[in-house]
Amino acid sequence: MDLLLRELPQQLINGLTLGAVYALIAIGYTMVYGILGMLNFAHGEIYMIGGFTGWWILYLVSRNHQIIMNAAIVIGLMVVASMGVSAFVGMLSERFAYRPLRKAPRINLLLSALGVSIFLQNFVLNYQGAKPRVYYVSSLIPKSIALIHIGPVVVSFMRIMVVLITFLLMILLTIIIKRTKAGKAMRATAQDLEMATFLGIDVDRIIVLVFIIGSALGGAAGVLVGLLFTQVDYFMGFQAGVKGFIAAVLGGIGSISGAMLGGIILGLAESLAVTFLPSAYKDVVAFAILIIVLIFRPCGLIGKEVQEKV
Amino acid sequence: MKKAVRFLVIFSLMVCFVSFGVNVGAKGLVDQASKARVKVIDVGNAGSFTGAAASPCMEIFNSAQVAVDEWNAKGGIQGVKIKHIMGDDALQPSQAINVAHKFVADKSMYGVVGPPMSHIAQATLKIYGAGNLACITTAASKPSLTEQGYKQFFRVNARNDAHGWNCALFIKNYLKAKKVAILNEKVAYCVNMASETVKGLKKLGIKDILQETIVAGSKDFSPVLTKVKAFKPDVLFFIATAAPDQAIGVRQMKELGIKATFFGTEGAKDKKDFIEASQGAAEGAYVYHFGPDIYAIPAAAGYVKKYEKKYGTISGFGPTAYEAMNILLTAINNAAKDGKISRKEVIQKLHEIKNYKGILGFPVTFDKKGDLEGSATYFFKVVGKDFKQVAIMTGK
Repeated sequence: MDLLLRELPQQLINGLTLGAVYALIAIGYTMVYGILGMLNFAHGEIYMIGGFTGWWILYLVSRNHQIIMNAAIVIGLMVVASMGVSAFVGMLSERFAYRPLRKAPRINLLLSALGVSIFLQNFVLNYQGAKPRVYYVSSLIPKSIALIHIGPVVVSFMRIMVVLITFLLMILLTIIIKRTKAGKAMRATAQDLEMATFLGIDVDRIIVLVFIIGSALGGAAGVLVGLLFTQVDYFMGFQAGVKGFIAAVLGGIGSISGAMLGGIILGLAESLAVTFLPSAYKDVVAFAILIIVLIFRPCGLIGKEVQEKV
Repeated sequence: MKKAVRFLVIFSLMVCFVSFGVNVGAKGLVDQASKARVKVIDVGNAGSFTGAAASPCMEIFNSAQVAVDEWNAKGGIQGVKIKHIMGDDALQPSQAINVAHKFVADKSMYGVVGPPMSHIAQATLKIYGAGNLACITTAASKPSLTEQGYKQFFRVNARNDAHGWNCALFIKNYLKAKKVAILNEKVAYCVNMASETVKGLKKLGIKDILQETIVAGSKDFSPVLTKVKAFKPDVLFFIATAAPDQAIGVRQMKELGIKATFFGTEGAKDKKDFIEASQGAAEGAYVYHFGPDIYAIPAAAGYVKKYEKKYGTISGFGPTAYEAMNILLTAINNAAKDGKISRKEVIQKLHEIKNYKGILGFPVTFDKKGDLEGSATYFFKVVGKDFKQVAIMTGK
């Protein structure tokens, strides 16, 4: 029990950071599903591309693993650039792989998404190689504040930053969705695509916007993971994609606040599972939670039951 | 008349060529199975040349290439040139099976170096066995690989049971540990290495052991490391296959403020992917390796010079590969001496290798199972940007 108390606060912090990243990925899934009813399996790869973009920016502004600019500017640049590149790739995938299939059966869209995923993965493998790329982050954060000790708990500055950036992005997203005209149009399109068209909403543009926002958040998650765990590789999108998807379903797919909640819960559950069970069961717990939630609340934690249209 | 002359000239030229060809055929090397003349001797190199283990595997390939180049410069085997063929499994057993089938189907292939990963070697044992194609692994250390009765499988590195026992000795006698945490990946080599080490530690009286598993490539080991922190071990033995994961492991261990000594596997003996990638966290960490410090062996100087001139620095996976390729080619050469060769003969000649003196600093003899006779494990400490050999354990 004593052992447990020593471990628990630290695991909460581990879980919260991981959960924040899951949440960012989950939002992309949930937004696209909300509007098109499709599972964008390429979303994990969009996240991976964000990670690589961040690496390139850091690499370009570093000499001998030391940055040559102000750290805050570098981190800002990394986040913005990776969001931009990921958004662009997301937009392209929508234009060339999903839009031509919008009237086709759902399964075609799903297969197309899988194709995009495999394409992007191999594209990066081909051009960036299979070896993990290392984020040399030690010069980004001054040593004196890199690790913060609170009693027995250690919190790295990077973790705090990751959580802060994540929450900032989530607040920004909420404002866009709730307060802007485009957000209103998005909500309308999600509710009823055809009706939205009748009301004069340019549905194509809204869908593109959804892909841009979702992919940008995925890209941000990629760069944050790179900063936090210091390595990115071409295959990282697969596992993260699966976890993001679980988080989205857990919270109620189609619901943005559900995705946020689902991500945090999943991250916490995984970390705490390691405390109570052998670590090999970490992923088992994640999937077990998913199954239990789906049995008792098929539409997720805060998803709404949508009546089938006749 | 003119026509007749032209015809005669062409005809005699043709006769000339044909008889010349037959002549060479009579003198050259003949494959016993197909009775065909051997035009080229293929040797395969099976490994994970892409993926997380790409850098050690490329070192294996390039080192074997140095050996092949040397043999070809001397005129090949009985006048036949040697071709070194890469078979990439991308660290996927399923892919490795394709490589094995491809190699076995290659009629002019007489031996393979690799595969260096235990779980991949395991997946391909049967295929190479059915094809009677000799394999010399340079790193696969799971004991059961040579316990299944396959005659074609050899290794120039020690087995996990030897390494595990030696590592246990190192942890107890050199690192003076009383409490040990062991994290291992769930793949054949790591699981086996962990259980052999635990067995050794228990035999040495260390009972306070925490054993947990990790997933390769997951990038975040902090939950399991937090558990390790609460356990307060003296030594953390981090058993992963590839260096990048161990770089993350040592970095997150330091970040969480765990005071234990980090002890990594042979996969971590990589200056770039472990020491540099850990961004300073690896300082003072230890790793074990199956090969000695190659720079300290006089017989290896020639290989080191050739390798470094062409491919850069050696991390530790190259020397055994150079040795393995030389042993394989020696066996093929011995088999080819009588003008006939077959895959089975190559395997037989490998079993007959006695006290082969190469560059590893110890003579190589294979026992009946294909294992190395007499096994040592070498221990290194990270000092600055390099590894320094600190101990050798030979089971005592």
